[in-house]
Amino acid sequence: MIYEIADLRVFLDNRYPFTTKFCKAYEAEDQSVPAQITASVLPEELEEERTLSPGFSDGYIENICLYRSLCLQIPAFDRMLMHAAILEYDGSGYAFLGKSGTGKSTHTGLWLQYLGGRIVNGDKPILSFSDREVYAYGTPWMGKEGRGCKAKTPLKALCFLEQAKENKIRRLSASETTSRLFNQLLIPTEEQAAIKTLELADALIQRIPAYLLSCDISEEAVKTSYEALTGKEYKPKGENL
Amino acid sequence: MKIKKGFVVRNVGGECVVVPVGAMSKTFHGMINLNETGNFLWEFFSADHTVEEGVAALCAEYDVEESVARNDVQRFADILLQNGFAEE
Repeated sequence: MIYEIADLRVFLDNRYPFTTKFCKAYEAEDQSVPAQITASVLPEELEEERTLSPGFSDGYIENICLYRSLCLQIPAFDRMLMHAAILEYDGSGYAFLGKSGTGKSTHTGLWLQYLGGRIVNGDKPILSFSDREVYAYGTPWMGKEGRGCKAKTPLKALCFLEQAKENKIRRLSASETTSRLFNQLLIPTEEQAAIKTLELADALIQRIPAYLLSCDISEEAVKTSYEALTGKEYKPKGENL
Repeated sequence: MKIKKGFVVRNVGGECVVVPVGAMSKTFHGMINLNETGNFLWEFFSADHTVEEGVAALCAEYDVEESVARNDVQRFADILLQNGFAEE
């Protein structure tokens, strides 16, 4: 079955029905137009992933491997995978990044609660690079909580999170961003794809401002990130009614 | 000493970044961040050279005392050899 993922036509060569159901919303209407990418999984890749994710079904394991196969091939199409939660507010996309457990879900959840907006991809967005914009995409793969939608949003800022007792935010320099960003990227091991990914990472850092948000789980945390990321004065949605 | 095949070097966000590719990526996961001297030495030792040649090259390129340069090059060589990134 061919799917439309991140504005690419992708053939997912799955053997188990899990992926067919999982990706249903992304099925291409016209199956007769050839795919640009074929994602497939070798038996040894399946076996390796099985040891990393014990207790999951073969279909689930295959599904993880298929996304990996896809994402290792997308650099040739000026795209890459970035581990982040993408929130869209007022037509602009904001990426929240941090190690698992730093509060991406919590912070974006608070943002939705106080300001509104929507989650485009809660965990594993694909980014595309054109002359004018960097877009972040919703894909079928959006984390355990399944937060996301079939949409793309122009990325306007990166926001790295760390937990703290006091809420504050500061702009990160390019070199600070580089070291933090690398932990959140999938770097292919195939040479051309690796080179392309490094070039895209450089473009991302040059084009999109990055911040470090130290935050707790209060409304003030949302105010702090909102005002820095958007450059606007904080107005929670209740006050507009 | 010569740095093994299987690395790509690129400038990312003003930083010199090295990542393993191909077979090298199976033994080494991660990235290396090089400073200016490290970048210079990485390029220099991409071809086969002795540590002494590295010291001479570093002294020719930068205003640095020979003893300091020798210390830097030896340390760089040790790290590369210990991690299997280079061979004697």
